[in-house]
Amino acid sequence: MSKRFDPYPHVWRLPLLIWQGLFFVGPLLLMVALSFWVVRNYRMEPAFVLDNWERMLGREVFWNAYGVTFRRAAVAAALASLIAFPASFALAFRVSDAARRWAIFFLIVPFFTSYLVRVYAWQVLLAESGPINAVLGFGGLGPFTMLNSAFGAMVGYLTLVLPLVVILQTFSLAAVDRTLIEAAWNLGASPRATLFRVIIPAAKVGLILGFVFAFILSFGDFVSPFYLGGSKPPTLSILIIDTTKSGQQWPRAAVVAVMMILTLFAVASAAVGAAYGRRR
Amino acid sequence: MSKSSFAPTRRGLLAGAAGAALAAPMLNRAWAQAPVEINMLAWYGHAEPDMVSEFEAENNVKFVPKYYAGGDNMLALISQSPPGTYDIILSDAEFVQQLNAAGYIEEMDPSLFPFDDFWPEYQKFPGHWTGDQLWSVMVRFGLLGVSYNTDALTREEAMSYNAYWNPKVTGKVGHFDWHLPNLGQMSLLMGNRDPSPFDISEEAWEAVKEKTLSLKPQVGGYFDYGGTFAALKNGEMLAMAGIGDWITGVLQKDGAPVASVIPEEGGIQWTESYSIGKGSQKQDLVVKFIQYMLSPRGQVRSIQMAAYPGLSPTKSGWKAIQEANPAEAERSGLIEGHEQSPIKLLAEKRIFFRDIPRQQSLEDWNEFWSDYKTA
Amino acid sequence: MRAGDLLARLYLLALFVFVFAPIVTSMVFSFNSDRFPTVPLGHFTLRWYETAFARPEVWTAFRNSLIVAVSAAALSTALGFATAYTDFRYGFRFKQAYLALALLPPTIPLVIMGLAMLAWLGRLGLSGTLTGIVIAHTVMGAPFAMAICRLRLQQMDPALEAAAWNLGASPWRAMGTVVLPFCLPALISAFCLTAAVSFDEFIVAWFVSGLNRTVPVAILEILQGNVDPQINAIGTVVFLTSMTLVVVAQLMLLRRTAR
Repeated sequence: MSKRFDPYPHVWRLPLLIWQGLFFVGPLLLMVALSFWVVRNYRMEPAFVLDNWERMLGREVFWNAYGVTFRRAAVAAALASLIAFPASFALAFRVSDAARRWAIFFLIVPFFTSYLVRVYAWQVLLAESGPINAVLGFGGLGPFTMLNSAFGAMVGYLTLVLPLVVILQTFSLAAVDRTLIEAAWNLGASPRATLFRVIIPAAKVGLILGFVFAFILSFGDFVSPFYLGGSKPPTLSILIIDTTKSGQQWPRAAVVAVMMILTLFAVASAAVGAAYGRRR
Repeated sequence: MSKSSFAPTRRGLLAGAAGAALAAPMLNRAWAQAPVEINMLAWYGHAEPDMVSEFEAENNVKFVPKYYAGGDNMLALISQSPPGTYDIILSDAEFVQQLNAAGYIEEMDPSLFPFDDFWPEYQKFPGHWTGDQLWSVMVRFGLLGVSYNTDALTREEAMSYNAYWNPKVTGKVGHFDWHLPNLGQMSLLMGNRDPSPFDISEEAWEAVKEKTLSLKPQVGGYFDYGGTFAALKNGEMLAMAGIGDWITGVLQKDGAPVASVIPEEGGIQWTESYSIGKGSQKQDLVVKFIQYMLSPRGQVRSIQMAAYPGLSPTKSGWKAIQEANPAEAERSGLIEGHEQSPIKLLAEKRIFFRDIPRQQSLEDWNEFWSDYKTA
Repeated sequence: MRAGDLLARLYLLALFVFVFAPIVTSMVFSFNSDRFPTVPLGHFTLRWYETAFARPEVWTAFRNSLIVAVSAAALSTALGFATAYTDFRYGFRFKQAYLALALLPPTIPLVIMGLAMLAWLGRLGLSGTLTGIVIAHTVMGAPFAMAICRLRLQQMDPALEAAAWNLGASPWRAMGTVVLPFCLPALISAFCLTAAVSFDEFIVAWFVSGLNRTVPVAILEILQGNVDPQINAIGTVVFLTSMTLVVVAQLMLLRRTAR
């Protein structure tokens, strides 16, 4: 090619830069700016004050909500990873390729299928007068209070993340080199040692990615803690919604949002470090 | 696995097709006439068919609702939309002043509305007038007290706000998730009656906060309108603070064992009023709709509104419901001299208009509410 | 069958029951006559479908959702393909940052996306419009489309495009005659999947939509309002729609392995 300007590569490269710049980076930067604005008489005015930051970060509410959200997301991610692992292991090593493909197929479907309606269905299932308590009642148990509790919220988080975690884990477990496992067996390693010394380290990337995505999704989720957890206590997402509802306090909601994004970035980069770092 | 998940799928498909076939004529009609659209900002239910279908059919209009929960939420929604977005705004009475101050509503002509027909107590509702200028017209109201599950608490036990602390309902006390009605009730419990539970000194406010926080161990959750409904109906919550007959009235009709009482300490009145959105292009139609809602026909609909019942501020409204549905008139006390008559309760100083905090800022109350929720 | 295998299968079954229980529940209760969901069930009825779909606003919501999903899917797919192709064909400085920009949106919590989008689109005069929702959903869908197209390009022999050039085809012609036809299944797949993403998304749409509800926003408002089994009826239709889209999306991708 000569030095003449060739539009071809730019036609493919630029759309994303323009679109994401305009409608992704732009909004997020505006939100950061917003966190320094002031509200007068229910109207936002551009300014540069630290007041919103001081007020939000100085309040116990924020840190309580932060603690709850972080803890719950971590627990949800850990639980999802633990619950998913035997399933992923079975899918990777104990079923045929065709069965694995179908299983993945049927896990992808719910991941893209109305989360809101599924959460509402859990509200029905978990109610004190709902089907699950009715079944337990036949066995002389319960009724248990499952809604409006941390348990309810956790069921919601798992509904959201479990399919994704199983998919990611299965992919990485299935990709583990079989000869590696056979070698471990031949060298006389116990099943437990094979699992912990060979399989898990080899599938590390997928396992960590599963955990991180579960964390990210649960950390930002609004629906489960609200409709299944009864806002008891509120998470950061609920705090954002509450704050925007009350007297147009968008700048303060923006403070919460920025803190959430920072947290997610920190967790994600720590995870990427853990997943890929030690290989070198 | 795949088989079982497909079986209901096929049924669903058929049903969807059936639904489509049923609705097709409706769709055609809607497209043929192209009615005038009126944008309404309101609490849930005000633009549902049971309220507006008659007026829509008679005037070839179509209401397009945006529903909110709580006055703060309403103000936020208006300020986020371009002026002229909402033609008619149904707001809580205590927020009319704020709407007016922010320039969100048009002035109204008092001669167009039947104020002579109003009970005198409601003719000049606080905040709706500045001198002789009218900004908003009250259309319905209701009373907030203690709402409870009648299997869990007796009426006597519910006759004080202390019922929320009753060990029988530990972990089962729900809050309607809005600070004003809840904190108003706490303020009444603390004896702040004069001049109003919303006009309290800093000292009294501190006491209200402290008392509220002591309720925390009893609390089972914080709910929006739909959540409140579901939680009371399915027995997840046995007592609910911040609501009244507007929720339990609907549930009673479905046969749920719930009721509301105005306790000894007094109750709070919520009031809903119509305003015309600033810059609306359809003011004549909006005025016509407000006139319709204040007529006996409209009031009967409002009293029996499917989403939540409301009381009538007009004399002709009372008469109309006594004829149309005597049982409902009796149940809600819309009969002169009835012991539950809201006019009587008001005269006995057992009812206080819900208001915005007079000595603290709305923000203080709101901020405390979120503190309380995470405490 | 060995005991371990049986155990593994039971465990898998339990997991799938957990994942599909809410979907099945919603479908079952959409045909249940009782106003409030309790056990034992009432009798079979189509009443909730009738009430839900007799409401013109439900039809309007479906129309809005359709417009938004199709537009957002088309834009996401175009954007995703262009980005995937860039990644496939070119190396350049800051490519890591470029890819991060492309793939980042799904990691931002939806509530925050909604907040930021409303503030931004409000400044551009696009809040409360369907265009606004399309824009937001395109941002959210493009990374999925990009991932799908990238996977497909991976399977293309890079020499194929080069061969076309050597035969005298311009890059544009090679794109039209070689690359695009090869990627067609992925493009259809990406279109369906991003349509499903848009069709299900409610938080950002709720922030941005104003008076123009999409279907999930209408569901959210019923959930905030007078909850009744219409939710299940509408929800079942939504499930079927997005499931069909996701199934088609996957079949398009799986087809090539069969060939």
